[in-house]
Amino acid sequence: MSSEAAWVPVALSASIEPGTSAGAVVEGAELVVWRDAKGVAHVWEDRCPHRGMRMSFGFVRGDHIACLYHGWSYDTAGQCRHIPAHPDLDVPKTIKIATYAVEEAGGVIWTRLATAAQAADPLPTMGTNLPVRSLYADCSAAHALAILKQTLLPVGKGETCPGRLQVVTPHVWTLEAGALSLSIAVQLIGPQKIGLHILADEGAADLIPHLARWAQALRLALEEPVTVAEVA
Amino acid sequence: MSEITLYNHDLDENCYRVRLMLSFLGLAHEIVAIDMVPGHEEKGPAMRALNPLGSLPILKDGDLVLYGTQAILAHLARAHDAAGVWLPLEPAIFSRVMQWTFFSATALSCAIEARRVAVFGLGGDLETLKHEARQALRIMDDHMVLRHIEGFEWFAADTPTIADLSLLPSFALSRDYGIDHDEFPALRRWLRRFRILPGFRTMPGIPDYH
Repeated sequence: MSSEAAWVPVALSASIEPGTSAGAVVEGAELVVWRDAKGVAHVWEDRCPHRGMRMSFGFVRGDHIACLYHGWSYDTAGQCRHIPAHPDLDVPKTIKIATYAVEEAGGVIWTRLATAAQAADPLPTMGTNLPVRSLYADCSAAHALAILKQTLLPVGKGETCPGRLQVVTPHVWTLEAGALSLSIAVQLIGPQKIGLHILADEGAADLIPHLARWAQALRLALEEPVTVAEVA
Repeated sequence: MSEITLYNHDLDENCYRVRLMLSFLGLAHEIVAIDMVPGHEEKGPAMRALNPLGSLPILKDGDLVLYGTQAILAHLARAHDAAGVWLPLEPAIFSRVMQWTFFSATALSCAIEARRVAVFGLGGDLETLKHEARQALRIMDDHMVLRHIEGFEWFAADTPTIADLSLLPSFALSRDYGIDHDEFPALRRWLRRFRILPGFRTMPGIPDYH
């Protein structure tokens, strides 16, 4: 388990367009990640207090997100502001969705599954990055680390180079090969399920398509049945 | 009576594919409602006279009677889309449109079957079907990741084609058979762009609001 103070990634910033929402799971906790019309990202518990419907199925209007079931509409603080079936009702303050701290850094949306009162770890420093893709695979973080230690990265002109893996924090890994520097924001979804939000340094624009194909092949390697030798 | 008749079941996603095409092309048509669930009317002798496979959709266009979803989409695009945008004939684009249109009939057949098992309670191994459907959706997401990097928003051309149309319902309806959209950011982006095309319409299972 991660510390609740830790910043954990839930999506690439570029994957959550203004006015849209998506679901994300962090260590079994279901979250909705949404971006309001002004471009501000929000991470909440993925549950409407009314009937338990997932808010990630809902729709964003301006700086409110509404539940798909009955249109209950919530402001950026998670407070319900409007119930269409009772348009004149002054909505009770108790109708509120749990919200989490959000920061965007290095091209990634980060959240902290702690209450506001708890001290926060520092935000991961990732520099300026170009998004490659988010890769989802059925494997543990430990297995992903073992595979990434052996990976060959595309470095241009059809050549590959062994990557040097560094675990900066449980949620930030880096891979370097020659002039190329990859940042991987690690989303622990479940014991055997992982999301790798992969970004490259600014100088690697021409390599992005190759890196996307490398990531696609990486998923095959991550999900290959583990051999006895590796277990031992 | 209009020239075009669709034998339809509102909850069937292959019928939805044809309804979408008719809507995008703005074609007047008559709908004949077939009691697919629970009546299996499409498997009765009257319907088998039109389609010996006993499946929906079936399209009548004048004297032509067609079955097979992808064949119907190709026919409507060739016969009724004067601009030729839904089925471009330039060889390089046409081949890609065919590849992905066939993908919807082959690799995605498990997704269509998974939804039938989940929604209509028909017999079948839902977990195996879901596993195969997830693999197919991953292939689609991988493709759209690369397309987006190359500056394109659609599967086979720089505009939507019958490839996008034939693939889209399996993703838009994936929650019906227990696959969420979390893992497919590139397909979410594509679905949002498809939804705002003029003539888009929903079916039960695809939210009206987004």
